[in-house]
Amino acid sequence: MTTEETILTKISEPVFNHANGRLLMPEERYWPSRKWKSPWSLPAYRSGAALLAGILSGAVLAAWLIGEIPLRLAPLYSLAEQYALSYGVPLFLFHLAWTVIKAALLLAVPLVNALFAVWWERKVSAHIQSRLGPMYVGRFQGCLQTVADGLKLFLKEDIVPDCADKLVHLLAPVVVVIPAILVFAPVPFGRELIYADLDIGTVYVFAVGGVSVMGIIMAGWASGNKFSLLGGLRSAAQLVSYELPRTFAVIPIIMLAGTLNISAIAGLQAGYWGGILPRWFIFYPVVGQVAFIVFLIASVAETNRVPFDIPEAESELVAGFNTEYSGMKFALFFLSEFAYVLLSCLLMAAFFFGGGEPPLPFLGFLPSWAWFLAKTLTLMFCFLWFRWTFPRFRVDRLMDFNWKFLLPVSLLNIAAAGLLIWLIS
Amino acid sequence: MKNYLSFVAEAFVNTLKGLWVTLKVMFLPTITVQYPTEKMVPYPRFRGMLAYDAEACIACGMCVRACPSKCIALAKAAPAPVPAAVEGQPPAPAVRSGPKIEWYTIDYGRCNFCGLCEESCPTKPVKALWHSLDYEAVFSTREEMTRRWKRGDTLWGTARGSADGQFAPVADQIHIQDVPVRK
Repeated sequence: MTTEETILTKISEPVFNHANGRLLMPEERYWPSRKWKSPWSLPAYRSGAALLAGILSGAVLAAWLIGEIPLRLAPLYSLAEQYALSYGVPLFLFHLAWTVIKAALLLAVPLVNALFAVWWERKVSAHIQSRLGPMYVGRFQGCLQTVADGLKLFLKEDIVPDCADKLVHLLAPVVVVIPAILVFAPVPFGRELIYADLDIGTVYVFAVGGVSVMGIIMAGWASGNKFSLLGGLRSAAQLVSYELPRTFAVIPIIMLAGTLNISAIAGLQAGYWGGILPRWFIFYPVVGQVAFIVFLIASVAETNRVPFDIPEAESELVAGFNTEYSGMKFALFFLSEFAYVLLSCLLMAAFFFGGGEPPLPFLGFLPSWAWFLAKTLTLMFCFLWFRWTFPRFRVDRLMDFNWKFLLPVSLLNIAAAGLLIWLIS
Repeated sequence: MKNYLSFVAEAFVNTLKGLWVTLKVMFLPTITVQYPTEKMVPYPRFRGMLAYDAEACIACGMCVRACPSKCIALAKAAPAPVPAAVEGQPPAPAVRSGPKIEWYTIDYGRCNFCGLCEESCPTKPVKALWHSLDYEAVFSTREEMTRRWKRGDTLWGTARGSADGQFAPVADQIHIQDVPVRK
């Protein structure tokens, strides 16, 4: 049989397909008429699993090779100091330059996080819906898709509505995004890997993070649009309400730790009970778990994500306070949303999962920042996972859930924490 | 109070159930076909673009009559001249050899891919006209939609090019079974 005949004859007998080396049976049908039986029979599935395993082991190897970052940076710092002094640079100028470098690194955290998290969210959402997500940009699984989208947003026209309050409309994304960057200052990324080791770190984080609500209300008000205004007001109501259980969920941790310093709270959780169970706050009976769940739910609500995305509920409010924003202004809102997701995950990793402490004693060969990152990314995956699993709350139920369930539970939890401390001591 | 607590517990369990479903689906194979690079092979009885074999066709016109949308037209070839009778010999029988078709056209603008032409085609053992598995056909003008076959043309025939309007063999018609299928 020549190739042409093979191609054109209807399949009444098995045909060998030279292109993929498969025998096409007469009754064989490809998807969607046939269900996947065993996913492991698919070469792409196996190669994907191998790829994931390879990425994971590569990351472990890289983390092991890099080691603790402060240890690596200390000689660099002293070398730079000597160099600066030998050229007669005043010491305060050197410290200023060092601070600027540190601040620039800190600024890079939410930016890089947004680049990565948007791509990751798109991939996770796609796979949860049996799709593939971005696949072309950047050759590997569409990994540069966010960069391409960012470029597109840069080139987009910046539209300001006629009836908008121009100045407030311009300021709103700034007011949203600046606290989202400032809030990372007292948050640790590993042992001694911290920008400003504030003693009141916990209070600072919640206080500065709360300022962003102002920007969202400004955005809603200044757009001159009823949907935006409704979105902004709903957002204000939601964020202010969920701030309470979120803060109350942390109080048991603060009671148990006896400090407000985030890195100190993370450091207190070193060690193991019985040599196997890490002394993380989530493993404190009942109190830890309840606090974690309340904090997780309230964090999802704080970041305006599904199932709590009432402020930008697209089926009711077009896009809420985002409606009249285009180009980079919209990108700033997006950036701050993902910055707050990262912040919540970092806080949860520090408060409940022991920060940079390894989960098992023999895993201590990996540096603390790697464990911190791993825990943060796992929690961030939970955020994406919730988003693509749950339907949206109704407005009144959202408030019911907060005031009638989360708040009493978190208050009871504080009492339980007091009981626990009394029992321990 | 008891009702309330059981409600909370139930809601918690149901939430976990929902999460488990999405987690499970996330690690199952995806169903997306990356179309230009991956192509699905249709099932064997799929009615795709028509393939026509000018050598096998006997120009009986059954397909023309069967076609409900009147998109097929054909012209029989002129019969070969009967050789002159030789003295003392019986006259040679009027047997035709070679293709019996002058031209054959299908207007895809009217074709509804019902398959009746293929069903009515009487040639044995291979039908002269059949639906291939190919589903990739793009036309930019109405003129291009008419496929024409003459003696010696390929199975895909010729069509008017959008540039010059002249009949030319159908280029880059894909062979769907040669395309790498979804892994």
